[in-house]
Amino acid sequence: MEQRTDADIQDQSPQPTKWDRSAIVRLKARFERQNWAGVLFLLACAVAFPMLPGVEGWQAYTVALVIIYIIAAQGISVLVGFTGLVSVGHGGFLAIGAYTSALLTKYFETDIIIGLISGGLMAGFIGFLLGLIFLRLSGAFMAIGTLGFAFFVGTVVNNVPLFEGREGISLPSNKVMFWEIGDIGFYYVSLTVLALVTLFSYCMVRSSVGRAFMALRDSEKAAEASGVNRVLYRTIAFSISAFITGMAGVLNGHIVNYISSEVYGDIWYSVDILVAVVVGGSAVLMGPIIGGIFVVMLPFMLEELADFAFILKGVVLILVLIFAPAGIAEVLGRPIRNMRARLLRQAGYGGREPAPAETTSVAAAPSQTEKP
Amino acid sequence: MASHLKCEEITVRFGGVVACDGVSLDVEEGKIVGLIGPNGAGKTTLFNVLSRFQEADAGEVYLRGQPVNKNSTSQMVNLGMARTFQNINLFAEQTTLDNILIGAHHLCAPPLQSMLWMPQARAVERELTDRAVEIAEMLNLESELDNLAKNLPYGLQKRVELARALAAKPEIILLDEPVAGCNEEETEELQNIIARLNRELGITVLLVEHDMSMVMSICDYLYVINFGANLAQGEPADIQTNRDVITAYLGEEV
Ligand SMILES: Nc1ncnc2c1ncn2[C@@H]1O[C@H](COP(=O)(O)OP(=O)(O)OP(=O)(O)O)[C@@H](O)[C@H]1O
Ligand SMILES: [Mg+2]
Repeated sequence: MEQRTDADIQDQSPQPTKWDRSAIVRLKARFERQNWAGVLFLLACAVAFPMLPGVEGWQAYTVALVIIYIIAAQGISVLVGFTGLVSVGHGGFLAIGAYTSALLTKYFETDIIIGLISGGLMAGFIGFLLGLIFLRLSGAFMAIGTLGFAFFVGTVVNNVPLFEGREGISLPSNKVMFWEIGDIGFYYVSLTVLALVTLFSYCMVRSSVGRAFMALRDSEKAAEASGVNRVLYRTIAFSISAFITGMAGVLNGHIVNYISSEVYGDIWYSVDILVAVVVGGSAVLMGPIIGGIFVVMLPFMLEELADFAFILKGVVLILVLIFAPAGIAEVLGRPIRNMRARLLRQAGYGGREPAPAETTSVAAAPSQTEKP
Repeated sequence: MASHLKCEEITVRFGGVVACDGVSLDVEEGKIVGLIGPNGAGKTTLFNVLSRFQEADAGEVYLRGQPVNKNSTSQMVNLGMARTFQNINLFAEQTTLDNILIGAHHLCAPPLQSMLWMPQARAVERELTDRAVEIAEMLNLESELDNLAKNLPYGLQKRVELARALAAKPEIILLDEPVAGCNEEETEELQNIIARLNRELGITVLLVEHDMSMVMSICDYLYVINFGANLAQGEPADIQTNRDVITAYLGEEV
């Protein structure tokens, strides 16, 4: 009955010498440390900025606006970059965050911290529901669905009396635990949120959760075969993404102490946030940062031509899609990556380049039918 | 010996095509069982039913005697079943190491602990990484750990698939044409690996394969299906001389 002879199995080719990965692992750890050093340097610059001589409140205000956009873009990049789902409706989450905190502040005189938590949670909860509703959608249908969501939010804030439509809601000056804060204080609040969100994104992407997101993005079948619960992880991705963008919305309302449907009833925010991650790059940490700076600073730099900003954004978007589809951050990071690749190769890393098309093909295997 | 995976009277229709037409099979624990049949016989479809990727129009699947028709696809790995695909399904943009680690997804800490990098979650992560490296060593993939899956040649991609399935610590593994497209040398190597998995780790194997010399030498028992229905079953030596089987395969050639 035993068909396979034990001799067959024992007579194995001699055990090849074990591949030594330690040099590569060490190098990769070093690169990681360099990344952290870079991030900490940027953070130190950002902390020092308002203290520089000659920096005034309005400048801190402008940079805080950039920071808010970066946070919003980080929210959407969780979805676009790591789960491969496109959202054209993240302005909706921005609005939900902004209105939640504004109403709490107006009626209960809460401070920004409570606003941030409740605005984020509210947006996260709506994101969770949306994730469930859009479970079966992907690609263009997902884009249309999320766009519909942004329109829906716009209609609600325009028409439901609680949100006071175009009249808008004026907010008292900003407080953190009963302390009033000015432009510079607000700058530091925004920077703190940005730092926390960045740290969280970093950890999440490098955990089993980030791996599951990317697995669903790359092959839903293989992900499910590996035990990744598609429903669970898609809703987690939506919730986290909405939570982060919702917090950006809270800050966006409080920074001008005023919100109205004129601003949040439109889909421009949705478009701007998406443009930020597409231009900056969605699957790298620096992407939302560069994209956020681009989207906010462009109108400023054009000064009296600011009305043309939206045309120029469109032009840049198209150029990026053609010449740097992975985003500007990817292009800027290329010299560093090339240098690191060289170091890795020197350490003996196999460094496989893409093989010729026929051998890498993931398409159907040629079934060799042998007759018994 | 006990039955590990069993299905009864599985029927699957795709519109007018009846891909499975009342197929039954019973995989005994600790064995290597082959599922063979001409192209289009319904082998992959049956695999999809067994692994909950495809809902059957009729019939039942039992894993260790328990019906699994209520379980979702992603739960199967928790019940000790892992599989590979005939058409490679890898995470192309990720490294071999990450591909293997995803296979161990159900062994990771819960999502919240994981993404907040809680100490236990990090400890589990390190442990699973060490295991992933061990699995890679067993499959001679260790030099590919840091390479992107999409850059590997075909034969190695097939092996990464197998490694990913093994990372789940399965008790039974379903392999859909594991050596298709591999050369003779690679085939022999994989054949030895599969035999070792079965012998040393006690993993039950259900195998679809067109490479008859491999099937005949490695399998303890064979099921032959044709046009979605059982045609024959038995030990390889008997199947080799079975008239119906020979006719089915020769018939296909005409
Ligand atoms: N999703 C589907 N929709 C329609 N028909 C399908 C589908 N999947 C399989 N079929 C049909 O079902 C039959 C069985 O296909 P299946 O892939 O299970 O065969 P197989 O035995 O795995 O063949 P091969 O040896 O070529 O892999 C074929 O006729 C195929 O065309
Ligand atoms: Mg098949």
